[in-house]
Amino acid sequence: MLRTLALTLILATPAQADVPGTLSQIGQDYAGFAAAATTLADAAAQTCDAAALQPAFNAAFDAWMAVAHLRLGPVEQDGRALAIAFWPDPKALGAKAQRWLLTGDPAMLEPETFAQQSVAARGLMGLERLLYPAEAPPADPCPLIRATADNLARMAAEVARDWPAFAQVIATAGQPGNSVYLTEAEGKQALFTQLATGIEALAEGRIGRPLGTFDKPRPERAEARASSRSLRNIGLSVAALRDMALALDANIPITTAAFDRAARLVAALDDPKLAGIAEPQGWLKVEILQQSVRAARDAVVAELAPALGVGLGFNAQDGD
Amino acid sequence: MATRRGFLAGLLASGLPLPTWADAGSPTHLAAGKLGEAYALHGLTATGDSLFSIPLPARGHAAAAHPTRPVAVAFARRPGTFGLVIDCVDGRVTHRITPPDGRQFNGHGAFSADAETLYTSEVVAETSEGRIGLWRSSDYARIGEWASGGIGPHDMKRLGDGSLIVANGGIVTDPTDRTKLNLATMRPNLTQLSPDGAVLAQVDLPELLQNSIRHLALTATGVAFAMQWEGDPADPVPLLGLWTPGQTPILCPAPDADAYAMQGYAGSIAVDAATGDIAITSPKGGIVMRFAASGAHLATWRRADVCGMAATGAGFIASDGAGALWAVEDDGLQPLARHATLWDNHIVRI
Repeated sequence: MLRTLALTLILATPAQADVPGTLSQIGQDYAGFAAAATTLADAAAQTCDAAALQPAFNAAFDAWMAVAHLRLGPVEQDGRALAIAFWPDPKALGAKAQRWLLTGDPAMLEPETFAQQSVAARGLMGLERLLYPAEAPPADPCPLIRATADNLARMAAEVARDWPAFAQVIATAGQPGNSVYLTEAEGKQALFTQLATGIEALAEGRIGRPLGTFDKPRPERAEARASSRSLRNIGLSVAALRDMALALDANIPITTAAFDRAARLVAALDDPKLAGIAEPQGWLKVEILQQSVRAARDAVVAELAPALGVGLGFNAQDGD
Repeated sequence: MATRRGFLAGLLASGLPLPTWADAGSPTHLAAGKLGEAYALHGLTATGDSLFSIPLPARGHAAAAHPTRPVAVAFARRPGTFGLVIDCVDGRVTHRITPPDGRQFNGHGAFSADAETLYTSEVVAETSEGRIGLWRSSDYARIGEWASGGIGPHDMKRLGDGSLIVANGGIVTDPTDRTKLNLATMRPNLTQLSPDGAVLAQVDLPELLQNSIRHLALTATGVAFAMQWEGDPADPVPLLGLWTPGQTPILCPAPDADAYAMQGYAGSIAVDAATGDIAITSPKGGIVMRFAASGAHLATWRRADVCGMAATGAGFIASDGAGALWAVEDDGLQPLARHATLWDNHIVRI
């Protein structure tokens, strides 16, 4: 009887948000990115041959995509998230800054000095321009490749190193002495906001920028076209956001179905650079993908937010 | 018969002083908020306590505090259909002001230097052409209006010389649903109006026409202005500027690493008169940025959904959509209090 009652109580209690599990998963993903970035930097120390470095570059970019949607904690310090993957860059600030670094004083490439250079010039997008050059660089790119890979590995290591302490701030939300998150709900809110804004960034940025409008598609705006990663990044982003939602609460069937539909649409596209956007048929396919991602956003708001006891920001959604 | 007029006459005859803000408990700030499905205007202390809460019929935006009497005029958010003149001693609504036919309030207002006139930011509903409504503060009768000098006026501030600076946000909106209709051709400006409503000075930002100038705070020589970017979010643009009438505006960009932190959106602005420091907020980015009087960036701090910002006389107080009030100190945000009320966009200093 008692056992039956206890079981009933367990079944009747809504699923607890797994904040510790989510924080821990993020920490593992940051560690994975740091390891991949270190492997890339080590490879660059051995060779500057672009073809030889491309696999390690892609592995590091893949690892970044697991955490690219997160904008809280150590990744926000010193503009690291921007410097790790500066995109979009419609005014080609990164390429301009790199020309300056390629032809300027080599002292700018020293680690401490290079860390102060423009966020647009550094990180994965900087390396992509060097490893998949559209035209011959104005000078030997090897020193800049090494400086950029080294700086990326340093930033990745710093984020992985600093995450556990920040995770502890979220984990202790609402406890005495925590002056960042004043209630337990605020910790969950912080993680939910990352998820919701990450989905929006995917729909409106990675997909929306190249999509443009039916009358004016903008395939040239797709992310990481030079390395043919545009669609791959979208797929990895869908997977990362789905994983984060499920880490927060495993019992979210509507959300899971929405992400799964988006993943199927990505898999069916077979268009690495999203070049098909230029054609009406291709444009419509990508627009359907965008709608599916927006549906996932609606699903987390409708399904996951109430389960977590959080919502969207009162002012953030509706300013004036 | 005890009439209000008779009471007032008696009050004057007896030599009793008229009520002051001390009679309302000496709040230092006003802020609108939401509790459940109900909206209210609160009188706050600089340490984050709520002294009173007065119901509002719909979502509020900003308020105008009478310079001496414990009277606040609370404005609906745009497109606004009401302003409530509230006696902050007893919470009584003493007057309801309604924009004339075809006009809408835009959420902000200010009193004249002698407190005899209330100014309200308004638009012609069909066109979003700006107007400044004039109301006599003895009985809140409409006594006239001026052209605001642009489209979509939002915040306004009165300078020490009695002139008024208006932020004409430049955006034509649908009169019923706030849809923005002219983002490709918008041209916001800052307009200085004389105490008679004549345009004394006007500037715009030809390089940043899609940067809607919306909120203002007084500086030693003019205003600091906060903007909301309607262009490509991938363009990092300054969201803070400084204007001394008669001079060219100075734009104050955030540093490289923080250039996107505000997500192109500044929601509130305040200036600390003692230091000249300026604080702006972004609820979209969850950001407070502090700048020096020169416009140099000093610091970036994070707090989800932070929007309200006001000077306290010894720094700043900030509010957020989770109900918290914060002291903005030299080294960051320190929690003052957490209320059940979710704070709306602005805190107004009395």
